[in-house]
Amino acid sequence: MSNHYHSIFCILPPHMLQEIIEHGTPMQRRMALKNLTIGAQVRGRRHDLTQFAKLQEEAAGGLNRTVFDAQHGSALPGRKVRGEGDPPVGDPAVEEAYDGAGITYQMYKEVYGRDSIDGRGMPLNSTVHYQKGYDNAFWNGEQMVYGDGDEDLPISERLFNRFSASLDIMAHELTHGVIQAEAGLVYRDEPGALNESMADVFGSLVKQRSLGQDARTADWIIGAGLLTSNVNGVGLRSMKAPGTAYDDPVLGKDPQPSHMADYKSLPYDNGGVHINSGIPNHAFYVAAYELGGRSWEKMGKIWYVALCDKLNRTSQFQAAADITLAVAGDLYGRGSLEQGAVAKGWQEVGIVAQDSGGGDGGSGGTPSELPGCLPMVKAIMRLRG
Amino acid sequence: MRIYFERSGGFMGLRLAGTVDTDGLPAEDADSLVEMVESADFFNLPAQLLPDTEGGDRFQYKLMVEDEARRHSIETDGSSVPASLWPLLRRLTILTRAGHGGFDTN
Repeated sequence: MSNHYHSIFCILPPHMLQEIIEHGTPMQRRMALKNLTIGAQVRGRRHDLTQFAKLQEEAAGGLNRTVFDAQHGSALPGRKVRGEGDPPVGDPAVEEAYDGAGITYQMYKEVYGRDSIDGRGMPLNSTVHYQKGYDNAFWNGEQMVYGDGDEDLPISERLFNRFSASLDIMAHELTHGVIQAEAGLVYRDEPGALNESMADVFGSLVKQRSLGQDARTADWIIGAGLLTSNVNGVGLRSMKAPGTAYDDPVLGKDPQPSHMADYKSLPYDNGGVHINSGIPNHAFYVAAYELGGRSWEKMGKIWYVALCDKLNRTSQFQAAADITLAVAGDLYGRGSLEQGAVAKGWQEVGIVAQDSGGGDGGSGGTPSELPGCLPMVKAIMRLRG
Repeated sequence: MRIYFERSGGFMGLRLAGTVDTDGLPAEDADSLVEMVESADFFNLPAQLLPDTEGGDRFQYKLMVEDEARRHSIETDGSSVPASLWPLLRRLTILTRAGHGGFDTN
């Protein structure tokens, strides 16, 4: 999987790579580090390796979780109740937040080689028991925050359970941090809906991986178990069938569209970021289902590379379609099953993806080993003005 | 006292909106609501209480309160509101959810 970053295709001198390590994005830093290390190994230069080991250590902060308790108030982060390596404290919400952050960290680390939210071992802080009767979870730009649902109401009137009870919701919140550190998709209209969709995609992948589910056995529900038995619904969103997660007298019907023809420009929710995310969500689901197997591996990788290296703050759905198609071509070859699945995913939601990928395909070479170079060359050009 | 309340965004992105008129509430509930408006010092809150950081999945609230003499509106995402406003936001959420308005799923 990682051989597409092999240094043989990157003949940049070490001082340029060093510049990237110091000033590049997390993804660029990792690629540059890997290239430096492999280059040094090839040349047998021990002192280089020592120097790079130190840089690598700085870059790899490792898993560092802290859970805080807001004690039903609104001050953040609240009182520290569990730090990294501490034993359970006997509060399910605390344990869920601790374990959820850990499971999410592990997927990013083991599957995508990412060290935490910022790629540099950023501490993972979560606050539980936020407010009274707080039917929500959010990312405040720095940490995850979880409410307890309708805990302040009689059981017969509750609609929501506590938000930390759902692994994909915790992974969704943490992913908002990753998005902020990478593409930085503006939280409004189409870029905002893409932001939301990325958070759902990786949220769902974390859950699927933890349960060992493939694309065809996963339920693709976001927030399964979050609605109480008083609500007619299976969860908060469905990537498989957007618009069908709930249909309830109090909550109404799940408003998510699954096709561009039903895109809704809403005067609230930042233009409907949590509504229109159904469209790219469904594109991912169709692509992953079409390809089959473990979705976090290939399809997740395509989306991850798009998020980290290609999408930007103002990317729209069409750009996401074009970019994921190009990344699929870069990683797995043009005309590959993977690329075909991505095209089908977007097509199903009414978007024709165009492969704009760099003209490096079809040469009979190994295009899947090239993309590691291109972002680095771009990074150098940026850094050097 | 009349209160227009709207909450949107959040993880689900649903809009919950409604109008509560204290004249239509049992006396005890009406008194308690008026008291919450007063404890929050609502009429002296800044009209905009918006976040200074990035984030995702926050709720956005809009409130308009009027009585015989006064009328005031605020807009907030909850990140910088005084703790004294939270009980009012929660009470209005429950009231609009249960008959004084409802979820608008468009």
